[in-house]
Amino acid sequence: MSAFVTPQTPAGWATLGLAVIIILLGLPLLYMGAELAFIGGSWYYVIVGLAVTVAGLLMAMGRVAGGLLYLAAVAFTWLWALWEVGLDGWGLLPRVFGPTLLALGVLACLPVLKRAEAARSTLVREVA
Amino acid sequence: MSRTPMPRGLLLGATIITGLSCATALAQVPPADQPPGTGNATVPPAQPTPPADAFSAPSPNGPQAPGVNAANIPDGPPAEPSEATPMVEQVVANPAHDDWPGYARDDRATRYSPLDQITPANISHLKRAFIYHTGSKPGPGQVNKWAAETTPIKVGDGMYMCSALNDMMRIDPATGKEVWHFHANEKYESIPYTAACKAVVYYTSSTVPEGEHCHHRILEATLDERLIEVDSEDGKVCEGFGWHGMVNLMKGMGESVPGFVAETAPPPIVNGAIITNQEILDGQRRWAPSGVIRGYDAETGRFLWAWDVNRPHEHGEPKEGEHYSRGTPNSWAAMIGDNALGLVYVPTGNSAADYYSAMRSPEENKVSSAVVAIDVKTGEPRWVFQTVHKDVWDYDIGSQPTLMDFTKPDGSSVPALIMPTKRGQTFVLDRRTGEPVLPVEERPAPSPGMVPGDPRAPTQPWSVGMPRLGFAPLKEADMWGMSPIDQLYCRLKYRRAHYVGEFTPPSIDKPWLEYPGYNGGSDWGSVAYDEKTGILIANWNNTPMYDQLVSRKKADQLGLMPVDDPNYKPGGGGAEGAGAMAETPYGIVVSPFWDEYTGMMCNRPPYGMITAIDMHTQKVLWQHPLGSARANGPFGLPTHLPLTIGTPNNGGPVITAGGLIFVAATTDNMIHAFDIHTGREVWNDVLPGGGQATPMTYEYKGKQYVAIMAGGHHFMMTPVTDDLVVYALDNVN
Repeated sequence: MSAFVTPQTPAGWATLGLAVIIILLGLPLLYMGAELAFIGGSWYYVIVGLAVTVAGLLMAMGRVAGGLLYLAAVAFTWLWALWEVGLDGWGLLPRVFGPTLLALGVLACLPVLKRAEAARSTLVREVA
Repeated sequence: MSRTPMPRGLLLGATIITGLSCATALAQVPPADQPPGTGNATVPPAQPTPPADAFSAPSPNGPQAPGVNAANIPDGPPAEPSEATPMVEQVVANPAHDDWPGYARDDRATRYSPLDQITPANISHLKRAFIYHTGSKPGPGQVNKWAAETTPIKVGDGMYMCSALNDMMRIDPATGKEVWHFHANEKYESIPYTAACKAVVYYTSSTVPEGEHCHHRILEATLDERLIEVDSEDGKVCEGFGWHGMVNLMKGMGESVPGFVAETAPPPIVNGAIITNQEILDGQRRWAPSGVIRGYDAETGRFLWAWDVNRPHEHGEPKEGEHYSRGTPNSWAAMIGDNALGLVYVPTGNSAADYYSAMRSPEENKVSSAVVAIDVKTGEPRWVFQTVHKDVWDYDIGSQPTLMDFTKPDGSSVPALIMPTKRGQTFVLDRRTGEPVLPVEERPAPSPGMVPGDPRAPTQPWSVGMPRLGFAPLKEADMWGMSPIDQLYCRLKYRRAHYVGEFTPPSIDKPWLEYPGYNGGSDWGSVAYDEKTGILIANWNNTPMYDQLVSRKKADQLGLMPVDDPNYKPGGGGAEGAGAMAETPYGIVVSPFWDEYTGMMCNRPPYGMITAIDMHTQKVLWQHPLGSARANGPFGLPTHLPLTIGTPNNGGPVITAGGLIFVAATTDNMIHAFDIHTGREVWNDVLPGGGQATPMTYEYKGKQYVAIMAGGHHFMMTPVTDDLVVYALDNVN
């Protein structure tokens, strides 16, 4: 059977929607980030692009680990941004503003992911 | 500043994901005007191309196209050099306290007014007094090429100005009521890159007695290359000047089409000689019309002399069937004269075909992107100071020089000249010799460069004694955006280009980064200088460019053609975008260094700054970003945010004895006032259009006024209007 579960509630659909958005944002980071690293630029984007894409996929599969991985990527992003531009407002804006907004969404989705994971384990038990 | 970055991020993400199937999709289908990218600037021999080089250059001796001499002014035989009618003292030499009698107020180009009614304490009462409409703006179906850039002048009871299409007007300084209106009858086809008229010139005759027609005259130089003199009282042409008040400046220029050659700056009058320069449309062809500098008699319009770079010792008009030497460096900035030394200081630009230098003569290489001091009696250059050697970056000088008396550490005074540049290097020179007053270092520059047979100069001059109007070289971490994705896109653009600092040589294999860029540093707005306090005010830009040379075949494929090609269409490549550079091996593609999907610059803000420098110590007194984000944002949408982000700006500052600086210029369409001592913004107002002009101030019947032309600017993408907006205190009668 598929690893993806059809959501049963509006919250579930919202979580899946957020996961898809995160995948769509992660892929260009991964793809363009790989080129950037290859031609001598920063390695940040390819690493975080990979993490974010995987996080989105795991979230789409209803895994708490996906949400946690995204939050970890954003935490890493903050550390990197502070390292690269310090406390400069204009400099921090592109680096952390959007990802942090999304992180709030992911935070809100964590309970949904937990329920989905719990439901799946029940389902697995019943089938067994 | 987007408050909703998500939809934009999504859109960008989706765009990029769509492109995933094709590995280099982004580089292969760029929007128009983007450099073609790595390996794409040439056409493989096997690939079919459009009919080979559609452009076959017309003979330089060929007749000028219909409409070049639109007023059909008869030329007469070629004139020999002669000397000007002696001049009486002009009002700009010692402006009356209440007046603003010249473009930069006085004949030292200080942009300083002794008026002090408006101060930081009462400026909250500064309100609109009137708006005057010049009547010139784009008509239906006309490509917008407008940017009036006008500064009115005020002498006694009259305020005089020109419209973007060179009509001249006198208006009442208290009400804006039109007293007279001279119709220049200029054609749309005569507009070069921009329809602009920076100012008219007030001239007092030495031969016509006071009280007679044309004793006081208003002079202008036009887009369609005429000098016109009218009477200041009735606006009727001065019959004693040229042919019915007009002189044809296209005489001797050889083959041309309307809009190729134009004049937008007020010509200075020095010891009786009107000095003319002209803007030649950039990037068209190597053998574009000449950049010749000429003198004409202010009384009669009679030809006096020419300084023609590749005919250095011939100061007369070209013989029948000949023409001034073509493709020579053109000067389009406002010049400044020096009656005492008998010199005119000419800020020059580049030889034609800005980005390829292999076909330039040694004479051209000596005088391009330089200040040239020319003897106004003979047309003979007395000294030259070059600000860029073998310029291939379009670092032509756009600023007007400002004159000052520089006090040396030993207490002696030197007649000096301040020359701001697009590089953000400000040179201070001895007006008598052109020798730097403050130290200038020749520093190694990347050489020989990337283009076969076109080596770059091994060194370039740096004015190390003056604060730089600019920032450190760009780093990858300076790339910006609204989200990590567009920031990443800009980091990629940065890494995909050649960049080794300010003098990164042009390249064909991939784009190169041009920074500070041709709109960087100080442009035609120039600077303001308070001689009493020694404070210099400069507003400037921080806008890199992304350029690439393309092979001739590629240029043909991109449809680049010069303005005098029969197939040329207006809007199809111009001064600031891609250019054919016909008759050279390469075309040029120039674009802002931006994310072309969001329209946001790739480098981090600020994009515009204002700086106060103490000329006694050459130290920065204060400096901060200029212009807010209210009218700009991603996808060209206004954000309405009052954040001072620092926007690109065109138009100069004005200093008043009231302790204020007035400057508009920014793309937030505002006029700003700053306290000169602190730099604090004490007042602003939203203009009906873009304020891409230098303001001026005057007093009339006991009331101080501040005027700004809100004409907008097509290239700055600010709203175009025909509104001159004039302010005064509402608590003064």
